[in-house]
Amino acid sequence: MNKIWIVLKHELITLLSRPSYWFAILGIPLLATVAYAIAARANTDSSTQEVITQLIGSPRQITSQGYVDPGGLIRLLPEGTPPDLLIAYPDENAAAQALADGKIAGYYLLPVDYVQTGEIIYTSADYNPIAAQGNSAQFEWILQYNLLEGDALLASLAYGPVEVKQVSLAPEPQREEDNPLTYFLPYGVTMIFYIVILSAASLLLSSVSKEKENRILEILMVSVTPRQLLAGKIIGLGIVGLLQVGFWVGTGRILLAAGKITFNLPDVFQLPPSFLVWSLVFFLLGYAVYASLMAGLGALAPNLREASQVTIVVIMPLIVPMFLINMLIEAPNGIGSTILSLFPLTAPVAMMTRLAAGGVPLWQPVLAAVLLAITALLVVRAVAGMFRAQTLLSGQPLNARIFFKALLGKA
Amino acid sequence: MTKFWQVLRHEYTRHVFQRRFLFALLSVPFLILVMIGMIFLMVGMETDTTPMGYVDYSGILSHGRTAPPPEPPERPVPMQAFESEQAAETALQAGEIQAYYIIPEDYTTSGKAELVYIKEPRYAARGQFYDLLLANLMADQPPEIANRIIEGNEIIVRAADASQEVSENDFFAVLMPIFTGIIFIVAIATTSGYLLQAVVEEKENRTMEIMVTSVSPTQLMAGKILGDIAIGLTQLVVWSIFIALGILIGRDHLEFLQGVQIPIGQLALAAGLMIPAFIMNAAFMAAVGATVTEAREGQQVSGLFMLPIWIPYMLIALIMESPNSPIVVAMSLFPLTAPLTMILRAGFTTVPAWQIIASIGLLSLTALGALWLAGRAFRLGMLRYGQRLRWKEVFAREGAKA
Repeated sequence: MNKIWIVLKHELITLLSRPSYWFAILGIPLLATVAYAIAARANTDSSTQEVITQLIGSPRQITSQGYVDPGGLIRLLPEGTPPDLLIAYPDENAAAQALADGKIAGYYLLPVDYVQTGEIIYTSADYNPIAAQGNSAQFEWILQYNLLEGDALLASLAYGPVEVKQVSLAPEPQREEDNPLTYFLPYGVTMIFYIVILSAASLLLSSVSKEKENRILEILMVSVTPRQLLAGKIIGLGIVGLLQVGFWVGTGRILLAAGKITFNLPDVFQLPPSFLVWSLVFFLLGYAVYASLMAGLGALAPNLREASQVTIVVIMPLIVPMFLINMLIEAPNGIGSTILSLFPLTAPVAMMTRLAAGGVPLWQPVLAAVLLAITALLVVRAVAGMFRAQTLLSGQPLNARIFFKALLGKA
Repeated sequence: MTKFWQVLRHEYTRHVFQRRFLFALLSVPFLILVMIGMIFLMVGMETDTTPMGYVDYSGILSHGRTAPPPEPPERPVPMQAFESEQAAETALQAGEIQAYYIIPEDYTTSGKAELVYIKEPRYAARGQFYDLLLANLMADQPPEIANRIIEGNEIIVRAADASQEVSENDFFAVLMPIFTGIIFIVAIATTSGYLLQAVVEEKENRTMEIMVTSVSPTQLMAGKILGDIAIGLTQLVVWSIFIALGILIGRDHLEFLQGVQIPIGQLALAAGLMIPAFIMNAAFMAAVGATVTEAREGQQVSGLFMLPIWIPYMLIALIMESPNSPIVVAMSLFPLTAPLTMILRAGFTTVPAWQIIASIGLLSLTALGALWLAGRAFRLGMLRYGQRLRWKEVFAREGAKA
C-alpha cells in the first residue's frame, strides 16, 4: 500500500511541476474567460462594439448601386427607398464608367430576356460572391415590386407571411432552434469530455511506455510489484485529470451563469447542479476504462512510437460519438443517441452530450453509469493481468491482434 | 554536391515509397469525397418528411396550385389541409403532422399567420410551405411573371475586369478556393511532420553522429529540407491530378460540377505563396528538431508553429464574409497565417496587387530567416543530447560562447 502511495506521489509531482500541464489546464478556461469578457463588453458598451466591427467588418463602401435595364422593367421605386441607392444608366458602358470613377459600388445588368431566364449579372469592383448574395436582396426586392405592378404587400408576401406568431404546445420551455447555444453548449461539453478523457489516458500511455523505453521499469520492478505500479499510476493521473475536469466544467458553468445576466440567456441554458455530479462520475469511469487500456498498450509496446500506432484501435469507440455529434445534438433522445449513450465504451462522451442537450430520463444515466462501472472493473482486471514482469520487460513488437489477445488473457 | 543529392534522395525515397505514404496520399481525395457526401446527407436529413398541416380560412390555398419540388438533397414535405384547428391540433398531438399553420381570413391584407408546434419545425418544412403559399398567391398574375417570381433569380457575379465570373447557383465553384487552401495546408502539415521526425529520430538513435563524419551540416540540412519539399510537392501534384480528373469526369454527369472552372490564376497565386511557405515551415521544423532532445518534446514545440497556420481555417467564415476587413488583411500579410488567408481572400475578393506582392515578399524573407535559423540551430544542436539547446544560444553572435 505504501508503495502505491509513493508511485502516486511521484506521478503527481512530476506532472504538476511541468509548466506545460498548467498551461493546458488553465489556458483553455482563461481563453474562454477572455472571449467571454470581450463579448460581454461588446454587448454593453457600444465603443468596444464599434472597435470590433471596424476590425472584422469590411471597410466602409459606397452604398450606391447602378443598374442597366434595357427592357424597361423598373418603372417605380418602393416608398422609402433612399434617393441615391439605385442609379439608372442607359447602357453598360456608362455604368462601367461610373464604376471605374468610384460613383457606384457595382451595377446590375438586367438582360432583355430576364423574365424568361431570371439571370441578373452583377459587376462589382470588389468581386465577392458571398457578400454579393447578401447585397443583392435590396435590388431583387425592387425588381419583384415592379414585376407585381407596385403591390408592396403582395411583393413581400412572396417571401412568406409578414408576421408569424409561433405557438408552442410543448409542456416544458424549449431551447430555441435559432440560438447558437442550443448547438454549441452540447458540442462544447462533448469536446471537453473527449479531450479530457483522451489526454488523461494518453498521459498514462506515455508514462508507462517511456519508463519501459528507458529501462527505468527494470529497476522499478526490483522493489515494486507490477500491480502496485499500475494502481499508483492510474490513481495519480486520475487525480490530475479530475483537476482538469473540475477546472474546465467549473469555468463553463460559471460563465453560463454569468451569461444569464449579461446576455439575458434563458434559464433552459443553465446546466443543473446534477450535471456536475454526472460529469465527475462519467469522467472517472470513462477514465478508468480508457486509461487502463492505454496502460495495457504501454505495457506491451516496446516504445512510445509503436504504442501510438496501435492507440487508434483503443480510442476508436471514443471517436464514434464525435462523428455522430450532429445526431446526438439534434435528436438527443432518439434511438441512436440512446444506444450510444448506454453502450459502455461510447457512454462517457455520448451521455454527457445528451445530458447537456437536456431531457434525459434519470434511469438512463444511472444505467449507463452502472454498465460503465462493470466494464471498468473488467478492463482494469484484464489490464492488471497484462501488467506482469514478463510482458513489461520484453521488447516484442506490438500490433492490435497481440493487444486484444493479451487483453483476453490468451497471450 | 553529390552528398547533398544523396541526402535528398534518401529523405525522399524513405517516405514516398512506403505504404503509409500511399495511404496518406489517397486519404485526402477520399476525405474530400466523404466531406461532400456528408454535406448532402446532412441536408437530406435536415428535412423531416412528416407532413406539415394547415388550416386555411382565407381560401388562398384553394387555388389548387402546387409548388415546384424542392431541389435535392432536400426532400419534399407533404402538405395536409385541415378543416378546423381542433382537427389539426389532434393530429399534431398524435404525431401525424410536425406542425400546422393557421392562415387567417385577412391574410392578403394583414400578412399575419400563426404556426403551432410541439417542437419547432426545421427551416426546410417552413420554406416548402411558403413556396406553396407563393404558388397560390401568384395564381392571378400573368403566367410569365408568376413563373419568374416562383422560380427566383440567378445572380451572376462578375469582377470589374471580367477576369472572374461565378453564378450564385454554382456553390461548388465558390467552395473551390477553400478546397485549394485546405489541400495546401494539409500538405504542409504532413510533410513538416516528416522532417521533424527525421531529424529528431536520427538524433535520438545517434545516426547523426555517424553521418556528420562524412556530410557537412549544411549539406545534410539542405538535403533534408529540399527532400521534404519534394515530398510535399509530390503530394500536391497527385492531389491536383485527382481533383482535376474528378472535375473533368464529373462535369458530364453531375450538375453541380458544371460551372466549375479550374482556377488557373488562383493556382498560380497558391504556388507563389506555397513555395516560400513550404521552405519556411520545413526550416522551422528542422530548427525545432535540432533543438529538442526527444520526439515527443518536438511534437509539442512544433504545435506552436502549426497553430497559427490553422487559425485562418477556423476564421474561414469571417474571411469569406469580409475579405477586406483590417484583421483579415493583417492576417494575409503576417507570414505564418498568410498562405491560407491569401488564397481564401483571392477567391472572395479582388486582392490589390501590392498586398499580394507584400505578402509573398514577407513570406520569402521569413523563409530565408528560418533557413538561417535552422542552419545555426542545426550546427549547434545536432550533436547535443540530454540538454536542450536554448534559443538564446542560437541567436548569440557567431563564435560567441553562450
